Amino acid sequence: MGQDAVLTLDGIRKSFGNVHALKGARLELRKGEVHALMGENGAGKSTLMNILQGAVGDYEGEVFLSGKKVDIRAPLDARRLGIAKIHQELQLVPELSVAENIFLGREPRTRLGTVDFKRMYRETQPYLEALELPVKETAKVGGLRLGEQQLVEVAKALSLHARILIMDEPTSALSESETRKLFQVIRRLSAEGVSIIYISHRMEEIFELSQRITVMRDGEYIATVNTREVTKDDLVQMRVGRAVSDLYPFRETSAGPVMLEVERLTFHPPAGSARKRLQDVSFAVREGEVLGIAGLMGAGRTEILECLFGMHPGHTSGVIKVKGTEVRIRSPLEAIRHKLSFVTEDRKGQGLVLGRPIGENMTLPLLRQLSRWLFLRFRDEENECRKQMESLKVKATSPATVAGTLSGGNQQKVVLARWLMMNPDVLLLDEPTRGIDVGAKAEIYQLIHRLAEQGKSIIMVSSELPELIGNCDRIVTVCEGRVTGEFMRAEATPEKLLSAATFRSEPACQS
Amino acid sequence: MSVVKRTIRIEEQGREASRATGAWLQRVKRLQSVFGLAVIITLASVLCVRNGENLFLNPVNLANVVRAVSENGIIAVGMTLVILVAGIDLSVGAILGLTATVAADLMMHKHFGTLGTVLAVLLIGALIGLLNGAVSTKLSIQSFIVTLASMSIARGIARFWSGGTGIPITYGNEPNLAPVSYSLLSERIAGIPVPAICFIGISIVFAALLRYTRFGRYVYAIGGNETASRLSGIRVTRVKIAVFTICGVLSAAAGLIHAAQLNQGSPNDGIGYELNAIAAVAIGGTSLSGGIGTIPGTVVGALILGVLDNMLGLLNVNNNLQMVFKGLIIIAAVVLQRKK
Repeated sequence: MGQDAVLTLDGIRKSFGNVHALKGARLELRKGEVHALMGENGAGKSTLMNILQGAVGDYEGEVFLSGKKVDIRAPLDARRLGIAKIHQELQLVPELSVAENIFLGREPRTRLGTVDFKRMYRETQPYLEALELPVKETAKVGGLRLGEQQLVEVAKALSLHARILIMDEPTSALSESETRKLFQVIRRLSAEGVSIIYISHRMEEIFELSQRITVMRDGEYIATVNTREVTKDDLVQMRVGRAVSDLYPFRETSAGPVMLEVERLTFHPPAGSARKRLQDVSFAVREGEVLGIAGLMGAGRTEILECLFGMHPGHTSGVIKVKGTEVRIRSPLEAIRHKLSFVTEDRKGQGLVLGRPIGENMTLPLLRQLSRWLFLRFRDEENECRKQMESLKVKATSPATVAGTLSGGNQQKVVLARWLMMNPDVLLLDEPTRGIDVGAKAEIYQLIHRLAEQGKSIIMVSSELPELIGNCDRIVTVCEGRVTGEFMRAEATPEKLLSAATFRSEPACQS
Repeated sequence: MSVVKRTIRIEEQGREASRATGAWLQRVKRLQSVFGLAVIITLASVLCVRNGENLFLNPVNLANVVRAVSENGIIAVGMTLVILVAGIDLSVGAILGLTATVAADLMMHKHFGTLGTVLAVLLIGALIGLLNGAVSTKLSIQSFIVTLASMSIARGIARFWSGGTGIPITYGNEPNLAPVSYSLLSERIAGIPVPAICFIGISIVFAALLRYTRFGRYVYAIGGNETASRLSGIRVTRVKIAVFTICGVLSAAAGLIHAAQLNQGSPNDGIGYELNAIAAVAIGGTSLSGGIGTIPGTVVGALILGVLDNMLGLLNVNNNLQMVFKGLIIIAAVVLQRKK
């Protein structure tokens, strides 16, 4: 145990039924360090952090804070000990304002005992400024984009004056520039003596930020290393216990005739909607082509996919052509009939019925084919599900496994399996690898390429530029609802994409 | 064949879930409402003995229990569907009152035959249900509000229709009497009251509908995650309207039985029935936030309420205190069903 360890976790064990989530996990955190915690999905990182923040009370093992043994049995214990966590799954109240969320449960009071809003707003401002978050402290959180919400969560943790800050995938919904801001904040905090446990799947971030790295695998402690002394390959090897071949498979671009054509797609979101507007968005994607859409958060990337999928009928205008024929898509059902499919960004909110078996989740769009008259053909359904589970390597015992019990990567595979079952022509993928481990990511990339080789068209939105450049044949950039650039794979670099995504080619565009 | 398969699937599903909390505990949980029913039946059979005679377990009394449960049970089946799609229907009691009144009026004053009456009344139920569903989905108003309104509307129409008083039903072959065949609804077949047969039949049909059909799958999916369902190409609006329509039809069916049982159609009947139905659904383990629940659970829930009523009645417990007991049982049942 090091002298300057502020926090030491030792021999932590935790089982859920007969699943051993943690089998003797260990972690030592020094004062003022950024300590990365790595591991594949299911390695036990989240469980360990849940224990640390008091969400899992009945664990075995010992926790020392500055050398003193402590018990963390409830969230309040953790807060008292100065431990705060920024959640990967946001825990904000959408109906409340930014300031109200930050001060939830400890609102400043006036002498009369009512909430002192003036003071609350005043005290919120410095945190928003520190994060350069361009939102009003009175704005409702529900109206903010995912990335902005994540920064509000960071502000909330800052306001708790935590000595130990746990960050679970804090950048997964942030644009590059927001990530920069967050990193500045992290560095400043660490200089002020705050210790940070940083969980991320993004190697670059870990190398940039952390001083030390602890690797976990299958609920066990593998090693703690100094960041300067290891390479990416070392880490990958430690995490998976094997070498991972190149992440992005190479594929000759062999695009065929035009599959989907979009002309002057315009979208005016209804009043009160958090959606961004689109103005004259035009592009085309060919058979066997992977088209990337790059842009900052709030640029309208998701909205493009949503409009194509018929989610905003009545607010959308423009021409959509499938295989040269103009089509009208006024509902997801009509989109599906034109053989479009949509893997949404928000897996839990829009993708899966978490309480139902994965088999039922997969066959939802396909039940018409899988039933005779009104009745479901269970045997055919099960066969179909098992086939997909096998080809996508979904890690679950059977199609009857409840979707909510799977890891993020496996849940994403279930969503993909759903759409592959209907054999779509066009796949719309919105952040398909968000919150997913390297192993699962690589599998999804392989899948994208396999599908492209089969002649399917893929439109992919991602905030990870290397991912877009690695996978896409062509990338269009969007900014404030307009297309601002187009790059072939060979000419695309992160710098070029970023500058195109922040540059408005046409000046007169009100937002 | 597929039944066997399905059973295996469900067992597997249970096995998955049981990993978290221990297998047998899970199994006990799933059967909890059945245990609750067993406990109450045992209590009733032990307590309701007078002069060496078991008042509860005698066949006539048992038949009475099932008969009494039937009306609420039939409504509760419809309510289960509505609650599974995360809705609520407060108009069921008013629909029962309206349809019972209309049934009596059609037969006694409008020369309708049995079949005509039944069809007309079910159609009225369907129409109100359809409107409930259409207004709440198309205008996106919460079903609580819409059905609160239609409860008032249906009750108002019933009173207006009949002038506020009950219409007695007398049977006979003359034009101004109800057709004798209608009284079948208050008879027994092989010792089992016809309302009970209806209840059992309806329960089986809708349990099968939920388990074996596309429609059932859609109901669970919509209740579990409406957005995901819509994005999967499910016509969410249509399914929801269908669910409310079914609930309306079943409430009307309960109204037909109610009229036959009491030999009259009164516009003031069925007040508070919506709460009994919701209670049965909740005791049966259905989540009011949608997506989780079963018809067998609701049937057990309705039986628990019915046996409890019967027991307290046999024990001569004060009417008002009966309500207190019932309230406590509802809370206890829901607490016991809670996960973890």
